[in-house]
Amino acid sequence: MSQTMPAPAAHGGSDEVLVEVKGLHKSFGQLHVLKGVDFVVHRGEVVVLLGPSGSGKSTLLRCINSLEEAQQGTIRVGDVTVECGHWGRTYEKSVHGVRLQCGMVFQDFNLFPHKSVTENVVEAPLLVKGMKKDAAAKRARELLEQVGLSDRAEYYPSQISGGQKQRVAIARALAMDPKLMLFDEPTSALDPELIGEVLLVMKDLADAGMTMIVVTHEMGFARDVASRCIFMDEGVFVEEDSPENLFFHPRHERTKSFLRHILPKEGDNVERVAGGAPLGMGDEAPQEMK
Amino acid sequence: MKHRFVSIGVPLLAALLMVWALALAPAASAAGTPPKPVGSVPSSVGQSVSWGQGSVTVLYYAGTSPVVPAACELSINGDKVPVAQATDSSYANGRQLQFSFAADYQPPKGNLKLHAVLVTKSGEHVTYDWTYNNPGAAKPELLDWPTIRQFWWYIAKGGALTVELTVISICFAVVFALFGALGRLSRTMSFKEAWDKYRSWGFMALHTLRMIPYWIATFYTSLFRGTPLLLQIFVIYYAIPAIIDYMHARYSWFNIPYPSAFVSGCAALSLNYGAYLTEVFRAGIQAVPKGQTEAAWALGLSGGQTQRRIVLPQAFKIVIPAVGNDFIALIKDTSLVSTITVNELLHRAQLVGGRTLQFLSALLVAAAVYWILTIFFSFWQARLERRMEHDRARA
Repeated sequence: MSQTMPAPAAHGGSDEVLVEVKGLHKSFGQLHVLKGVDFVVHRGEVVVLLGPSGSGKSTLLRCINSLEEAQQGTIRVGDVTVECGHWGRTYEKSVHGVRLQCGMVFQDFNLFPHKSVTENVVEAPLLVKGMKKDAAAKRARELLEQVGLSDRAEYYPSQISGGQKQRVAIARALAMDPKLMLFDEPTSALDPELIGEVLLVMKDLADAGMTMIVVTHEMGFARDVASRCIFMDEGVFVEEDSPENLFFHPRHERTKSFLRHILPKEGDNVERVAGGAPLGMGDEAPQEMK
Repeated sequence: MKHRFVSIGVPLLAALLMVWALALAPAASAAGTPPKPVGSVPSSVGQSVSWGQGSVTVLYYAGTSPVVPAACELSINGDKVPVAQATDSSYANGRQLQFSFAADYQPPKGNLKLHAVLVTKSGEHVTYDWTYNNPGAAKPELLDWPTIRQFWWYIAKGGALTVELTVISICFAVVFALFGALGRLSRTMSFKEAWDKYRSWGFMALHTLRMIPYWIATFYTSLFRGTPLLLQIFVIYYAIPAIIDYMHARYSWFNIPYPSAFVSGCAALSLNYGAYLTEVFRAGIQAVPKGQTEAAWALGLSGGQTQRRIVLPQAFKIVIPAVGNDFIALIKDTSLVSTITVNELLHRAQLVGGRTLQFLSALLVAAAVYWILTIFFSFWQARLERRMEHDRARA
């Protein structure tokens, strides 16, 4: 994790390009989900992917760490490049190389139910990095402290709430010291009152300079934390802009119609708090929308 | 083991000998007083007379003129006995004449006066008179308690071998099943999908290699689920020595002993149950959510690490009830190896039955021991399941 961050550039990150996706095509049988996506993320950026369901945002995220294999295109993360549509030892090494640099947080947590919270966090460092037990345990304690779960270290996933599970999942991903964090709708499976605690952890992470790609429907989070928002539809990037511009001055008709559905209307009382700051669209949004 | 009263290999022969000895001895002793020959020829002295089931036999020394069986007569207490057939044959250094009673004739009980008239070809009549105390047919008993008292512990000790067979077989079966299940699940795509994916002959070659475990596992489960266990036991028992012989013929350095019946039985049971458990394990592994694998991959775990550390521990918990079920079934299926002379529970019961002719008593003892064993293991399985349930609730 890069704690020290260079001065923010226009896109909100440093000049160093951490993720570069070129001409990514992915189809499930006859269904063409990603139609040539080109995409760059700089170090320190927080990119939020928006779009209707089936637009390919989750697929794009899963393609980046090769949980889905794209048919065509290249994916570069750091100094490792995956040539999609290839196979063999080199390809598998590159996939592993990318996965080592990416932490991923899933919608339904996917914590290992047969392992305690601490065991969940230390599993990958022990197995993949060959870390010493003491060092891994120490790191796990730090990370659980960071996500505010020091007192749940010996609990099993079934014994903690959804929000706590997702925070453990974040800690588990961070334990591998990734350069990039991928969040696949991290709050969609949570009860409304548990969403805040997860968003808070994510916001802290962003503030600490972590590069993040987030698929979410939390517009408040997007507005407050994102350095860039991308609106996807039918497998292509429709519009890509700062959150303010995308939400309040969308250029494309498709974006506008999507935002009309998803943004709170006037009179809606959206109070979702993370880090003490109101993350809802607050009072200015409805006026801006008119 | 001292208490195995016969060695493996000749038990059936021994049992037959014993049955013969036991069956003959009381018949000979029940012969009563030796008959006094009256008259001259044929022969000298009647040796003895035996009272068999539905027949009376007169032993005599042959004279100059042979006996005509059809003309001979037998009477009991002065009443002529309806004789279905009289057979004259040689016996030791004399001869014997056997009167078989007619099918509907039942000799009276108590002290009987027997009177036999032997007629020779030359027309002489030789009579024998003797007495015999006929106890009558014993009242049939459902269970023979003396037999049970004498042999129940001998039969029950066979349970040790049954448990041994079960435990060894289930251990090997689980190992076979684990590899079988991984093999069955190693197929990720069909040949068509593989071709469509990369359209590369190199990848097709690799894919073909990767299919081999799947093919082996599929062949294995298909074969062992598709043929009867009893047949597998026989084939393995006879095939392994044959294979060893075949190898000997070619490689003289090869010198392994023939497996015992026990080893053959274990091999057959393990392979058969391994095939069934393969399907159980496959279902168990597939029941672990896909997200678990994805989470492990996303963390950078290799395929092997994912299986060993994440998927299999969860799959094991899922399959415990099914494996317990098969374990109980296996306890009972070990009885099939009695057919290849493994001296386990059922085999011992059959030996005792053969020796005492009290098959029902002996087999019921074996049934009771099987039942107790399964009750014990069901109880144990239920406990294990409860503990796992608790674990799952916790985890």
